[in-house]
Amino acid sequence: MKNRSALLTLLGFLLTFSLVLTACGPTQAPAQGETPEEPAPTDEPAAVEPVTVTYWHTMSDPETAQLEVVISAFEAANPGVTIEATRFAYDDFKPALLTSLAGGEAPDSARLDIVWVSEFADQGALLELDTAMPDFAAISAGTFPGPLATNHWNGHYYGLPQNTNTQVLLWNQDAFDAAGLDGPPATLDEFAAIACDLSDPSVEQYGYALGGTYFWAPAPIFYAMGGQVVDEAISTAEGYVNGPESVAAFTLLDNLYDQGCLSPNLLGGGIGTADGHATGKYAMITDGPWMVDIYAGTYPDFTVNFELVPTGSDGTTSSVVGGEDVVIFSDTDNSEAAMQWVAYLLSEESQLMMAEVGVIPTLSSLIGNPALPSYFDVFLRQLETAQARVPHPSWGDMDGAINNAFQRMLRNEQSPQEALDQAAEEINTLLGQ
Amino acid sequence: MRLSKSRSFQQLGTAALFLLPGLALFVVFVILPMLYSFRISFYDWNIVRPELSEWEGLQNYIQALQDPIFRRAVLNTLAYTLVTVPGQMILGLFVALLLNQNIRGKSLFRVLYYLPVITSWVIVSLLFEYMFSGQAGLVNYVLRDVLHVIDKNILWLADPVLAFVPIHLLGIWKGIGWTAIIFLAGLQAIPQSLYEAAEVDGAGPIPRFTYITFPLLRPTFVFLLVVLTIGGLNAYISNLLITNGGDPLDLTHFVLTLMYEATFTRLDFGMGAAISYLLTIFVFIISIFQIKLLRKQAEI
Repeated sequence: MKNRSALLTLLGFLLTFSLVLTACGPTQAPAQGETPEEPAPTDEPAAVEPVTVTYWHTMSDPETAQLEVVISAFEAANPGVTIEATRFAYDDFKPALLTSLAGGEAPDSARLDIVWVSEFADQGALLELDTAMPDFAAISAGTFPGPLATNHWNGHYYGLPQNTNTQVLLWNQDAFDAAGLDGPPATLDEFAAIACDLSDPSVEQYGYALGGTYFWAPAPIFYAMGGQVVDEAISTAEGYVNGPESVAAFTLLDNLYDQGCLSPNLLGGGIGTADGHATGKYAMITDGPWMVDIYAGTYPDFTVNFELVPTGSDGTTSSVVGGEDVVIFSDTDNSEAAMQWVAYLLSEESQLMMAEVGVIPTLSSLIGNPALPSYFDVFLRQLETAQARVPHPSWGDMDGAINNAFQRMLRNEQSPQEALDQAAEEINTLLGQ
Repeated sequence: MRLSKSRSFQQLGTAALFLLPGLALFVVFVILPMLYSFRISFYDWNIVRPELSEWEGLQNYIQALQDPIFRRAVLNTLAYTLVTVPGQMILGLFVALLLNQNIRGKSLFRVLYYLPVITSWVIVSLLFEYMFSGQAGLVNYVLRDVLHVIDKNILWLADPVLAFVPIHLLGIWKGIGWTAIIFLAGLQAIPQSLYEAAEVDGAGPIPRFTYITFPLLRPTFVFLLVVLTIGGLNAYISNLLITNGGDPLDLTHFVLTLMYEATFTRLDFGMGAAISYLLTIFVFIISIFQIKLLRKQAEI
C-alpha cells in the first residue's frame, strides 16, 4: 500500500511536470522533413553528387519572393546544388534554431540578426568562416567594415554581412509645414527645440517618438551625441555608458519626455511609431529603410521623408548599424556547397537583386550604383558613421541593463547619471563573467 | 483480497498491454525530456556541445531563488492565480446557474459563453493590449471621454501594477466559459427529485442552493480548483504578449516568462530548467494540499 501511494505520488509529480512542459508549447521547432543529401546514382560514378543546402531566414514577404529569384540564379550557375530556404517569424527564430541545434538538426546556413552571431559563435554552433572559407579574405575586404565587425568574436569571423541597415530621421512634411518650419533639424539642439514646438500632449501630439526603451530605439541619438557603451576592447563600461556623452544623450531624451515633447508610448502600450508618424501624431521618428515598403502597404498616400540623424555637439552625425549576417553551422555536412551559397549571397549580382526590394547591400563597390533605389542614398551616407552595438554574447543582457536604466530615469526614480552608473556596474559584471 | 491476487495480476497484464502504446509515447515525449531537463538544471548547459557543459550543482537553483526578479515573478504568478481562479469560479458558477434554467435560446447562450475559450490566446491578448493602450485605447476613451472619471490618459501597460489589470481580466474572461461548462455538468448530475422534495418542504431558492446545489457540487469545486490553480501558475502567453514578458523594469514577469527568457533569450538552459523544476515542485505541493484539504472537508 505504501509502495502504491509512493508510485502514485511519483506519477502525480510527473503529470504535474508534464503540464508545466505543455504550457511551453510554442517553443517547439517545426519539423524538418527533407533529408539534406540524396544518394548519387551508382551507375554514374562521374556525376557530381547532388547537394541540398538548407538556409533559414526571417525575410519579409517581398524579400522572400525575391529570394526565390536569387536562388534560381544561384542554382543555374551551380548545377547539383539545391537551396532549400525556410522562413521563420523573427520571434520564433531563435527558439527554432536552438531546438534544431540541440536535436542535431541544424540547417546548413542561416541569416542571423547581427547581434546574435557572437552569441551563437560562443556556443560553438558556427563555422569559423575566416579559416574555413578559402575566399573569405577577398569577400570580406569588399564589405563595409561596420557590418563586417558584427561577425567577429574571440579572434575569428563567424559570418559575413548579408545585408545592412541603419536608422535615420523621418520627418512629417505636413506637421512641419503647419508649424511654418522649412525643413528637418540639422543639429540635435534644433531637433530638441522643434520636437517641443510640434508637441501638444493634450491631443496626443508629439514632436518625437521612440518605439520603446530597448537600446535600438534611442541608439541613433545616443551615438550621434557621441555616446559609447563599452571601450573598444570590450573590457569595461565604466566611463563609457556612464561617460559624459552617453549621459548627455539620455539627459536630452529624458528632458524631452519630462517636457511632453517625447511621446509616452515608449513606456509601453501607446500608439506605434509607424502609425503615429504617418497620421501626423508624431512629427519625427527614427527608423529604417523598410518603412518605405511598410508605408506603401498601409499608408499609400503618405510620403516618407528621410534625413540624416541631426548632429551632436561635435558636429558629426551617427546612428546604429542593423542588419543580418549569413553564417554556416558547424555541424553541416555540406560546408563546400554552403560556402558557395554564402559567396553568392555576397556577390554584386545577388546583392543588387535584393536591393530591388529595399535590402541595403553590404558591398562598398555598390555605392553610387544607379541600379539602387534613390532613397538608399541617405542610408548609405548614414552608414558611413553608424556604429555597431557591442559584439558580445551577453549583448542581450547589456541591452537589458541600458533599457532598465532608461526606464528608471523616465520614471524619475534616478537621474540619468545615477541610472547609467548602475548600468555600467551591471554591464561590467557581465563582462567579468 | 488474498484470493484474487493471481487474478488481479492477470488483469494487470492485460491492462498493461493496452496501456503500453500510450505509455511508450508518454515515456519518450514526456518522461525522458523531463529527466533530461532535470539533468540540465545542474549544469551551465551548452546546447550545441552538451559534452562541454559545466557541472554547477545547485547553483542555478540558488541563483534563481536569490534573484529579486524571480521572487517578484513568483509573487506576480501567485497574485494572478489568487485573482483569476476565484474570479473564474464565481462568475463561471453564476453563468452555469443561468444556463441551467429553462430559457429560450439556451444553446445560443452556451455557445456565446464558450466562444472566448476557443479563441486564440494570441489574438485576444493583442486585443486586450489594444483596449488598454495608454494613448489610443478603448478603456481610456470610455473612462476619459464618455464617463469623465479620469482627466488624463492612464498608461496601463507602463505601470508595473496596472499592467496586470488587462492580464487578470483576460485570464478571467477567457476561463469563464470552460468553468461554466464544467459546473453545468455538475449541476445536471444533481437529481431533480432533491429540489422537488425541498420545494414541497417549502425551501426557497436560496436554501435550495446552499443546502442542495452547493454541497453536491463539491467534487466539481475540487476538480476546478486544482485544475485552474495549475493553469494559473502556468500562465504565460498573455503576459509575454501584453508586457513583452516583464516590461516595465522586469517587474511584471510570471515564472514561465522568466523561464522562457532565461532559456531562449539568454541561452541559459540550466537556469531555465531549474526555474521550471522550482515551479513544478511548487505546483505539486499546492495541488496535494488542495486535494487533501478539500477531501477532508468533503468527508465531514
